[in-house]
Amino acid sequence: MGEHLVVIVGLAFGTFAMRFGGYLLGARIPSSGPWARALQALPGCLIAALLAVILAQAGPAEWGAAVLSLAAALLSRSLPLTMLAGVSAVWLLRGLI
Amino acid sequence: MSDEFQSPAADAPREFRHGLRDITPLSIGVAVYGLVFGLLAAGQGMGALSTGFMGALVFAGSAQIVAVERLAAGAGAVLAVIAGLALNLRILLMTASLRGELSGRPLWQIMLGVHLTSDENWILMHATRNKGQRAGYWYLVGGGTSLIAIWIVSTALGAAFARSLPDLAGSGMDFAFAAAFILLLTSLWKGRQSLQPWIISATIAAACALLLPLDPSWGLIVGAVSGAGFAGIQHDG
Repeated sequence: MGEHLVVIVGLAFGTFAMRFGGYLLGARIPSSGPWARALQALPGCLIAALLAVILAQAGPAEWGAAVLSLAAALLSRSLPLTMLAGVSAVWLLRGLI
Repeated sequence: MSDEFQSPAADAPREFRHGLRDITPLSIGVAVYGLVFGLLAAGQGMGALSTGFMGALVFAGSAQIVAVERLAAGAGAVLAVIAGLALNLRILLMTASLRGELSGRPLWQIMLGVHLTSDENWILMHATRNKGQRAGYWYLVGGGTSLIAIWIVSTALGAAFARSLPDLAGSGMDFAFAAAFILLLTSLWKGRQSLQPWIISATIAAACALLLPLDPSWGLIVGAVSGAGFAGIQHDG
């Protein structure tokens, strides 16, 4: 429970600080240029890194399920359908491998 | 400053209602996402009350998912917060672009406006304005009010509903996060310029996770910052 409280309070303060900080910095951050490009690219890079860490520590069943999830994501563009495809694929592949 | 975006006070309720109405299709998508997040949070032992509370205070879906995933991976609370906040840096760019909407307003309206800024209502405001309709501060707040209400209710319901389900461990539910991230990544694709930074991030993060005797969360932060840094110095085209 203590851990949850730290995460909730930490994320709440940190996120609000970013939202308000953005307003304060609005005049100073250029809307183009290297800093803006890096900030725009950060979310995608973080998700790519996160997936790499998860998959590096997993095995063939998860790798296969990741490929199938990617196909489901590109075809459906739907979060629940992609998650359903991924979970079913990993469940099936773990049974087979 | 720019009068065309600062609607007169009399128009505020009308703009608020329009924002509230126009966001509805996006709110439905957020409700599904919220139910899913509630299920994942319940998997980490969070109840409906604390999940709803988190939604109200943080109001940033992907950051909440990443933080709870890091908790599930045993990274500890501090690293979970850092990873979640790194994902939120794009909000800084969004509120930084709200200069025209926020300047000259009382502090409480500025604080309300920035807290209610999310991808959906920020994009909708720009899209509506591109169509030549009036959409300013109160339009953004109207959309945000719908989104935050739906987000709180759906995440809390997801967490409450998960408790009445049988134990899902071992059924492949642990892969639900990875599948969610795959969809998130495809929605962040901005053409070929995305590829190199992502490969750099993924390679560095995986190498750190496999080779260094540290928590993998550090590897993913180092990888993400390297990839974003590369994107910053990369030339367009």
